[in-house]
Amino acid sequence: MKKSVGLILIGCGLLAGSLTGCSNKPSDEEMKQLNDLKAEVTSLEKSISDAEVQKAALLRSIAEKDAQLTQCAQDKDALQARLKSMH
Amino acid sequence: MNMIKKIIIAALVLTIATSVLSAQQQELTKEQWQQQVTELTAKRNDLKNTYNGLQKEVADLKNKDAEKSAALKQCQDDFAALQGQQEAPFKALSGNIDAKLNELSRLSNQDLYARRAELDSIQTWINAERQNPLSSIKSNEEKLNELQARLDALKKSLEQVIASGQAVQTYKVGTWAKDRDCLWNIAKKPKIYDNAFLWPKIWEGNRDQIKNPDIIHKGQILKIPQKADLTKTEKTALRRYWAKKNSAATAPAAKP
Repeated sequence: MKKSVGLILIGCGLLAGSLTGCSNKPSDEEMKQLNDLKAEVTSLEKSISDAEVQKAALLRSIAEKDAQLTQCAQDKDALQARLKSMH
Repeated sequence: MNMIKKIIIAALVLTIATSVLSAQQQELTKEQWQQQVTELTAKRNDLKNTYNGLQKEVADLKNKDAEKSAALKQCQDDFAALQGQQEAPFKALSGNIDAKLNELSRLSNQDLYARRAELDSIQTWINAERQNPLSSIKSNEEKLNELQARLDALKKSLEQVIASGQAVQTYKVGTWAKDRDCLWNIAKKPKIYDNAFLWPKIWEGNRDQIKNPDIIHKGQILKIPQKADLTKTEKTALRRYWAKKNSAATAPAAKP
């Protein structure tokens, strides 16, 4: 009788093992790896978004300076021409 | 025996519960997990490449921005040096115009009318400044435009003052002993008409307070009409005055 009880318990153990550990599911460690990967992707997406914003701001700044440079060069040329005409 | 049955049932329940809980925690299959890991790894690598590329672009743009700043500063310095050659006289004159406009804009209507000739002088200054090479500089051009706008506003006020009749100049009569004030002498004053023969204008303009042009009193405030040739009425009044004078043969003709 005790032998049959022992066999049943061993059977339960095997059944539980087959349903959990030995099933076709990723382990906790593998799930952690997947979650880390997801977090890394999210973080990279945010960094890219920030960099895009920074790039746009720099492009605007450069365009403004280009316009100022053009104006400055025109003013300078006009002034030089007028000064030459005076002398 | 019962005890053994209970143990077996408990073991079975525990086993099934563990399995169910375990199955709930891990919904993915191993294949799905593998697929997600593969996809995410590829995506991460793409994003890393994109990010690295962007960082390089941002670094390049920062350098370019710094170069533009330096070039702009250089241009502005060169420009300032050129400006410095002629800027002081330009600023001095535009400052004078500025001050004169401020002064005129604070005047009463009558005072503004009295000093209306100064508006023409300011216009001449502004026109002369526009010939200055520095007037082509944007900031100087803007300054001149601002001065011109203020002058135009003053001219417009003056026109309104003249149109409304508020522009009549006045003169406070002094004493004969001290000021030698009579209509003849008042008209002769440079600030009035600079022409003594225009005295009948003052008489006609002040008929309400001057009955006899030979008699004016200290402290009287006389209105001085605008300088112009004598009108028909004024000439008539003048003729009558002399006729009356000539008929009064007893006393020598006095100046009005």
